[in-house]
Amino acid sequence: MKTFLALALAACIATPAFAAGDAGSGKQKSESCKACHGADGNTPTGPDFPRLAGQHYDYLLKALKDYKSGARKNPIMGGQVGGLSAQDMADLAAYFSSQPGTLHVIR
Amino acid sequence: MRIPLALLILGALSLPAHAQSGNADAAKGKVSMCIGCHGIAMYKTAFPEVYSVPMIAGQSPEYIVKALQAYRAGDRSHPTMRGIAKGLSDQDMADVAAYYGGTGKAAR
Repeated sequence: MKTFLALALAACIATPAFAAGDAGSGKQKSESCKACHGADGNTPTGPDFPRLAGQHYDYLLKALKDYKSGARKNPIMGGQVGGLSAQDMADLAAYFSSQPGTLHVIR
Repeated sequence: MRIPLALLILGALSLPAHAQSGNADAAKGKVSMCIGCHGIAMYKTAFPEVYSVPMIAGQSPEYIVKALQAYRAGDRSHPTMRGIAKGLSDQDMADVAAYYGGTGKAAR
């Protein structure tokens, strides 16, 4: 019984709450992001485009989901996310959050 | 003709391309509301759903102003940020943006 419980618990822990993103796949899907956010996600091509490199995975995923649902409105991003699946968004968030960047926390 | 043209150019130059310039020092009295979430590494917002609060230091001042304006206009949905942004003047936004966008590692 103890072994069974331990296995059941391990299975619960190992099961992700949602599909985790794959940074490698995200890199391959990031081609159209580069035009604004820069090749590495850390060198935006316009002054009001955000840096993505090193930003938190779950925040990036939330932003993409909000663009897709319309909760966050931006003419450029609204058009970009139309063709993205949930897995695409998770992969892109995984890729950009794993890139070395200059975002940081100050008080 | 020469003088009016010069005046016209001068007038055009003095118009700001976008929002007024921010003062990072003036922001020091304005960022107390930001610090509670954005000043804590790995802090998560809990309402209306749980996810990590974004790192904002190192973003460009222009992006930070744009984000605050979007919250104020209702184009971004986070309730707390909407409430905070509605209480900020354009000058407040510029100052806060200069503070977070002007930190050492933000150099473009």
